[in-house]
Parts: sequence; C-alpha cells; structure tokens
Amino acid sequence: MLSVRNIAKRLPDGRLLLKNISFEVEKGEFVGILGESGVGKTVLLRCINGLTQPDHGEVIINGINGDGGPQKINEKRGQELRKIRRKIGMIFQGSILVKRLSVLENVLTGGLGRISTVRSLLYGFTDEEVDSALGAIDKVGIRSLAYRRAETLSGGEMQRAAIARAIFQEPCLLLADEPVSNLDPKNTEAVLDYLKPLTQEMAIIGVFHAPKIVSQYCTRAIGIRDGNVVYDGNPFLSDNTLEAIYSTGKHAPGATVDKTFPSPRETVTEWKQEDKDGAAMQIS
Amino acid sequence: MSGRRTNYRGDLRYKRWYKTYFFSGSLFILIFGWSVAHLKISPRLFWEGIPHFFNLVTEMLPPNWGVFSRGKILWSILETLSMAFAGTSLGAIGALFFGLLGAGNISPSKVIREATKRLLAAERSVPPLIYILLLVVVIGLGPFAGMIVIAMGTVGMLGKLFAEAIENIDPKPLESLESTGATRIQMVRYAVLPQVIPSLIANTLYRFDINLRVALFLGVVGGGGIGVNLQMAMSLFRYADALAITVVTLLIIWVAERISDYFRRRVIGQEILH
Repeated sequence: MLSVRNIAKRLPDGRLLLKNISFEVEKGEFVGILGESGVGKTVLLRCINGLTQPDHGEVIINGINGDGGPQKINEKRGQELRKIRRKIGMIFQGSILVKRLSVLENVLTGGLGRISTVRSLLYGFTDEEVDSALGAIDKVGIRSLAYRRAETLSGGEMQRAAIARAIFQEPCLLLADEPVSNLDPKNTEAVLDYLKPLTQEMAIIGVFHAPKIVSQYCTRAIGIRDGNVVYDGNPFLSDNTLEAIYSTGKHAPGATVDKTFPSPRETVTEWKQEDKDGAAMQIS
Repeated sequence: MSGRRTNYRGDLRYKRWYKTYFFSGSLFILIFGWSVAHLKISPRLFWEGIPHFFNLVTEMLPPNWGVFSRGKILWSILETLSMAFAGTSLGAIGALFFGLLGAGNISPSKVIREATKRLLAAERSVPPLIYILLLVVVIGLGPFAGMIVIAMGTVGMLGKLFAEAIENIDPKPLESLESTGATRIQMVRYAVLPQVIPSLIANTLYRFDINLRVALFLGVVGGGGIGVNLQMAMSLFRYADALAITVVTLLIIWVAERISDYFRRRVIGQEILH
C-alpha cells in the first residue's frame, strides 16, 4: 500500500540525515520505527505525508481514493497533495490540539479535507458528521470530555482526542510521531490499546523510543541508524539487533570510557533489560 | 611590552570617550540653538499673554449649556463617535486581511509577506493629518473622509499587531491540520482564529480609544463631527459655547472608553481564567 523508495534528505546545515531509506507497508501492519534521537525518524514520517520534501527518492501510496492507482506523494502539490493527505492521518508528539476549541471541534477538524472551504466557513459540519465524530470520541473513551476545551485536558486525554481525530479522518495510513513519549505508563498503555485495533482498517507507522513498546504492540520493527535501515523484521529484537540500532557495543564511541561515570548509553542497556523482561512476560 | 599595549589601549578608549561627548554635545547645542532662534521665543509675549488667559477663562465661564438646545450639536458628537466606531471596525477587518498576508506562518508566499509588511509600515508612517488633507480634496469635507482616515490609521497599526499575534501562535495545531489535507483558509478558520481572537479584540478596543481622540481632532481640520463645531465656536469667539461642547464631548468619550475597557478586561480576563 505504501512504498518508500530510496529516500534521502539533507538538513539545511548540509548534514545528510537520511541516506537511503526503503521499505513497504501493507494494510493491517503496525510498524514501529526505532533509532537514536536525532537519527531522522520524525523527518522520515514527515516525508511520507509531504510535510517535508525529500531530496531524493519517492514515496508511493496505492489504493487510496477508490482505485486511483499508485501515486507519488513527493511529486504532488496543492489540491492533489491535499487529496492524498486526507487519507493519511497523523498524530504528533505532545499537544497538537487547538487549545481554545472543544474536544469535539478538534475532532471535527480531522474531516476538513472532506468538506469544501466555503462550507467550512459558512456553516461547518452537519449533524451526521458531528454524530460520527462523537462516535470516534466514544471509541477512545473520553465521551464525557467532548464539550470541554482542549486546554483543560491532561496529556493522556489530549493524545486520545488526537486519536479520535485520526479515526474521524478515516485514513488508510496513520503516522504516529512518538505518540506516547510524554505519557506515564498507564496512559501509554491506554493510548496504544486504542491505536492497535485500528490496524484492521489501516496501516500504522509509529516512531517509538522504547523497544519494549515495539515488541509489545507492533507487528514489525524498522531500525534506522546513520541514515540507513539497519533492521527490518519481527518486533522481538535480540541484543545484537539493538546493538546494531543503538550502537551499545564495544566498538561504539564512548564504550571504553571509565564506567564509574554513568554515560547516557546506560539507559539503552536498561531498555535491553526491560525488553528481555517484556518478552519473557509475553511468552509466559 | 604588554603593559605598554594596555596603556596605549586605555589611552585610546579615553580619547574616544572624550571625542564622543565633545562632538555629540556640540552638535546638540548647535541644533538646539538653531531651532530656538527660529521659534522667535519671547518671554515678553508670554508675560503679556497671562492677562489674556484670564480673560479667556472668564469669558468661557459659565459654560453656555444653551448650545445643546440646538439638537445638532449632540448629533455632531454622535457623528464623531460613529466615525471612530465605523473607522475602527473597517480598519480592523482590513487589518485582519493584511495581518494574515503579513504573518510568516500563514502568508501564501514570502514575497507577499514582505510586500505586506512594507505596505503596512509605509501606511503607519504617514500621519492622519496628511491623509485628511488629501482626502478633503478628493471626497470633500465631512465625516466620510474622517472615517476613511481613521480606518487607514487603524489598518497600519492593527495589521502589524495582528500579524505578530498570528506569528506567535502554537505552530503544531496548524501543521496537524495541514497534515489532514485542510486548505489554507480552513487552517485560518480552525487553527489560527481560535488562538488569536482574544488578542485581536483587545487590540481593536484599545485602538478604538485612540480613534475617539483622532476623530475629535479630524473634525477640527475638516473631517466632520463635533470637532467642526468646536473649531467654529472658537473662531467666532464664542468661548462659553466651546467650553460646554468640550466638557460634554469629553464626558461622552470617557463613557465610551469605560465601556470598551470593560469589554477588553472581560476578553483578557477570560484568557487568564482558562
């Protein structure tokens, strides 16, 4: 359904962030993208829905808008690009809601791509659309908050409202940029539990920081390092794989540093430990 | 060697200090002296003016409230108020349009944004007096000309403030709407306006206060409203009439200001509350 081919992206400062990224995603998949901070995971997601223009390569989406055939997102502009974006939902890290609008209004904005500009200015959304938006809010379990202003919500509630908006948008591909990185464990679980069943109707590509989450919820993991895909396969990551993605090994810079000073890489080792526990729990 | 160097540099700094004060000081004295010479300042005129001042005050008192028996005067005050109100409203609408075009995050292109910013800056730099003198020639004396001048001044100032308010909004909701395939106008309606409306209203009401005074002044130079009557009364030496008109006008402006201040506080207070 989605095919990313040889994507390369150079930053304004001249650094080649993404060198050669290729992968394909089908409906029903929940792909977790892993990689160190600053490796370009977010940029990659933005290249997929055209918020950022890649310098090289192409992003092809298939089977949206009926049987429209394959379409190259990175070559579309204006009206055509908006038509494709309608079918690609996006959940961002942190707050993305319009704080002064109610939760319901925020969810309704997910449908803006479907209605004409004139209509959205004159009378907005119809009763049926409002009902369907309320249905989406119901699905993520915040029905009681539908008429509250978005700014009064907690982080977890905001992220659920963002998911409701993505559901109301009815995309065939959902991009989630670190959807749970600023949430506590309980909210993290709740948000992911609402995301996972959506794969029945769409594909989800998510960027995550914790390999544990990927092995618990995703159907597939993609590891990125130095601008290349270094891992693409099942989400149960071995120590060697994690080393390949996060460079925790002996040859990594900083590995020979006196260990009496805790280095930032210690945290990665902790993740690996957690990951083992998580995998063990799943097996039992 | 380094010691000598330090001394040398210290010396240089001292010289620079001395030069700066000497040149800027003498320049100031020169320009100030030159301007005073042109002003024909005369302590004698000031001294002789003092009795005239008391004459004026005694002629003004008591204010001739009788002028209001002619309904036209009150009507003129209303005309001044409506000049300010209509001018501010039209100006705010124009300012919103130019504010959107001039805001870096919403403007359709960099060229349009820069052009809009220059246009607004040019507009602001022309004083209302110039506008009214030109407009009186083009469309004649009267409140219509006054209203247009007020609207123009409002567009210049509010356009800049609106553009800045729009540039300062949280960019994330904007981008998330863009990612759902919303058009630019839909983004303005659902992500920009909800965020900036309180600031737009507060700034517009503030500008309304300023425009009440501009409207009064514009009347004196031919823009219509109570300013015309005031100017007439003064030139016909009807000082008691002028005082009555002034007092009532200031009173009405004060009331209008209280009302706009009340609304502004409510809008801003609401912001703080939530």
